[in-house]
Amino acid sequence: MIVRIYRALLRLLLPSRFHDAFADDMTAVFAELARERGPLALFGELPGLVRLAVRSRRSDRTMRAHAVTTRLEENVFDSFAQDLRFAARTLGRAPMFTLVAVVTLALGIGANTAIFSVVDAVLLSPLHLSDPDRLVAVSEVPKSATTISIGSTSPGSFFDWKDQVKSMQLAGYTPVNRVLTGHGEPEQLIGTTSIGGLLQVAAVRPLFGRVLTLDDEAADAPQVIVLSFDLWHRLYGDDRRILGQSINLGGVPRTIVGVMPAGFTFPGAPNDFWVPSRLDAKFRANRDQYFIAAIGRLAPGTTIERAQAEMQVESARLTRDWPMYNQGTRIDVAPLRDAIVGATSQRLWVLMGAVAFVLLITCANLGNLLLARATTRRREFAVRRALGAGASRVTRQLLTESLVIALLGGAMGLAVGKAFLKLVLAAQVTTNLPRSDEIALDGRVLLFTLIVSLIAGVFFGVVPAWQLGRAPAAGALRDGDRGSGGSQFARGVLVVAELALAMILLAGAGLTLRSFSLLERVNPGVRSDHVLTFTVSPRSAAPTFFPTTLERIRALRGVTSAAVVTTLPISGRGIGAWFNRIDRPLPDNVQPTGEAYRVVTPDYFATVGIRLVSGRLLNGDDRKEAPAIVVNEALVKKYYPGENPIGKPVYLGAPDNRLFQQAPIVGVVSDTRDLGLGSDPAPTVYIPLAVMPTWPFFSYVVRTTGDPATIMPDVRRIVRELDPAVPIRNVEALDDVVSAAVAPARWSTTLLSVFAALALVMAVLGVFGVLSFLVTQRRREIGIRVALGASPSAVRALVVRRGLGLVAAGLILGGAGALAVTRLMSTLLFGVTPTDPTTFTLVALVLAVAGLSASYLPARAATTVDPIIALRAE
Amino acid sequence: MPARDSLESASPLSAQVFQILLSLVDDDLHGYAIIQDVAQRTGGEVRLTASTLYAAVKRLLDNGWIEELRERPKGDDDPRRRYYRLTPKGRQAARGEALRIERLAGMARAKQLIGAKR
Repeated sequence: MIVRIYRALLRLLLPSRFHDAFADDMTAVFAELARERGPLALFGELPGLVRLAVRSRRSDRTMRAHAVTTRLEENVFDSFAQDLRFAARTLGRAPMFTLVAVVTLALGIGANTAIFSVVDAVLLSPLHLSDPDRLVAVSEVPKSATTISIGSTSPGSFFDWKDQVKSMQLAGYTPVNRVLTGHGEPEQLIGTTSIGGLLQVAAVRPLFGRVLTLDDEAADAPQVIVLSFDLWHRLYGDDRRILGQSINLGGVPRTIVGVMPAGFTFPGAPNDFWVPSRLDAKFRANRDQYFIAAIGRLAPGTTIERAQAEMQVESARLTRDWPMYNQGTRIDVAPLRDAIVGATSQRLWVLMGAVAFVLLITCANLGNLLLARATTRRREFAVRRALGAGASRVTRQLLTESLVIALLGGAMGLAVGKAFLKLVLAAQVTTNLPRSDEIALDGRVLLFTLIVSLIAGVFFGVVPAWQLGRAPAAGALRDGDRGSGGSQFARGVLVVAELALAMILLAGAGLTLRSFSLLERVNPGVRSDHVLTFTVSPRSAAPTFFPTTLERIRALRGVTSAAVVTTLPISGRGIGAWFNRIDRPLPDNVQPTGEAYRVVTPDYFATVGIRLVSGRLLNGDDRKEAPAIVVNEALVKKYYPGENPIGKPVYLGAPDNRLFQQAPIVGVVSDTRDLGLGSDPAPTVYIPLAVMPTWPFFSYVVRTTGDPATIMPDVRRIVRELDPAVPIRNVEALDDVVSAAVAPARWSTTLLSVFAALALVMAVLGVFGVLSFLVTQRRREIGIRVALGASPSAVRALVVRRGLGLVAAGLILGGAGALAVTRLMSTLLFGVTPTDPTTFTLVALVLAVAGLSASYLPARAATTVDPIIALRAE
Repeated sequence: MPARDSLESASPLSAQVFQILLSLVDDDLHGYAIIQDVAQRTGGEVRLTASTLYAAVKRLLDNGWIEELRERPKGDDDPRRRYYRLTPKGRQAARGEALRIERLAGMARAKQLIGAKR
């Protein structure tokens, strides 16, 4: 064994000539020494071996230098090591060049590394589920729906599916929030209710204990709970003896039966616990409450297409049996991962594309830099070739240099990427991404960075290598350092490519910037300044709790009004129910549409600044016995076009399951953009709290005269006085709620702008570099022109004309490319088309001005060429 | 050849090279035997390894101070072993080195740094 290691070391370290001559003998001698002195003899060999390797290589090379024309036998390792040493020396001699190259590359690679870590975790890594490729999301959606997402279905439909469908094992879930008590401060936990054995279908084994089963969902089964790893760790440390212990959630003691492994947070993070559902027979048959998200595990040997076909049959049957509920719906079966990631993926892919462009531009720039350098080294390479170095040898030498730069850039890029990822993760939006808890610079990311660096190295190294490798020696020797027409052309191509890529990136960034500025100018429909919001969920909703707290908060100094609402404005659609006009019932076979409703106290409208359009606002007289509702303009537009809705009676919910018996519309108020600033206002019904008082949690909105945050201590005191065990969550200014609505757009806009700026700088540097080089190379020609009487402006024009040509070509190509590419990001845009002419013109202008300014400096340098010096230098 | 690799200019000889030459003065030896002989004669003071030995062997061969034997001596049946013999040039070099050391020792003795020869 030890002898074999020695043998391998010899092969690795010794130059082939020495190896061939002596390795056998050395191994034999070493074998006897090892027998005599023991295996530690290997360590004794090492210093001598290293000295030998270094010395024999040195003499090998000097020999070669003396006899370059005889092609020596050399193994690949030999020449590679030689190339490597040579590259290190060459780069070390030009530290500025190396620094610039490595730093620009590190920026490009760093951006890629960071964004790839996000993309990898969110889009590419398998879910923390067993055999995740066989898991699908099953969702009942309107026939018109186009996006994949996890939709919700009713218990009636869900249990029908579960009974009928053979191609999948189905389970459902719905989120549940419960207040934890008995562990310090009361705390709101986020969990999942398992319907039909969710954890069994997910097929993930618990860390210890057991998972929830179907039996736990029986009506008379004991109340049990499975904890997430994080919650277990936080509450109990590493104590595994908690199985069988009780934990109090929402006032109900539950027995802990298991803990899931770290990282398992399905169906989404955060998820603190899983509890079995407890649906009675009546609720199991309910068909108008849509809250169950369904997943399925494909049966062995079944494909997703088969499952989809089966669900189509099921959908047709349900439509026939329950036309009222299932008319106009279809059932989608999609890979679970696509459903989870959903809408995020386009945003991320656009960013990934952007950083890839930045890297391409970086590569083109470096290619140019190396090409320029290589041109000035033409004489050196010509000499080598004249002395017998083959074209491939020269090419390899140059490629080695670029690979060394690439790897250095990659190593530094990793550090840049790490810092950059930290910044990206600091943004709230990133952490709101699905599966964001899995984002990390892991082995896959490292591998990605390494591969990207290597590809980049080959990419920017191959052009100069090819150019120089084929350069005819004689011409190069004569021309000295002036470039050939070919390499000038290559440099031009690279710069044009850079400009074109920059143009595409700028166009993309410009479009998102424009749509973002339009988005920010959208009126959200609320006056969000000086409004404090927070959410309270009392354990038992005493009917007096909300009115009493509101009364006391209103009495605070600096508070002008206060109200509660079920879902804050601009933060989502909230809950919905079927909207039914009593004065114009739908035909029996047509299903009503669900519309959003918000339960509010009468002051809500004044507090958040929603205007009254017609009729009256809600007031204290609207009670359960004499209900009244207010609707927004969007609902009027949809249900009462051209009519006066005031006084028209309506009810919400299914005929046999109404939120209230019936109520007249007493007022119309202005719209709020609850679905996000980029979406149209949703039709919304406002129901007084007095009509629906048993709501488990409410958000408060409090308008203040001063800084809203200053009243928070008093608010906490008021809530504690009424119920010391109630948690207060999500304390925020309404301004922040509104701003959070555009946060994803701001996020991608900011990132894209940063990348585009980087691209612009690099492209400008590219133009500058090429033209500066052009001037240096053509010094003699310029000198002759000046000597023959060319005016400075004519000389300037000479250089600028070249720059203009490059910029124009880049703009045309880039414009065409941008037209093709920006189409892909259409769903990220708001208010502008992907081919918005204004944006394109502006972007082209920016690039043209930047490009021409970049050519000005070299042009001015050209006018300062002194003909006498320029000609004498030759 | 650059000067630094040449043994001629490398005077004085390194202890290892000198010891290897000494081992070959009265016998043709193979590599392992050289290491053993040197270790024995110097009481373990000069301990060669395979690597240091062959680094020296290579240079000695290049300089023509030793040569490889074409036939192995009778009684050795290990075909891997190569035997080395001192050339006249090598003998001269070893002698030169020994005389140089003797001259040095004489000088030291004249200064009574070390005791007189018996």
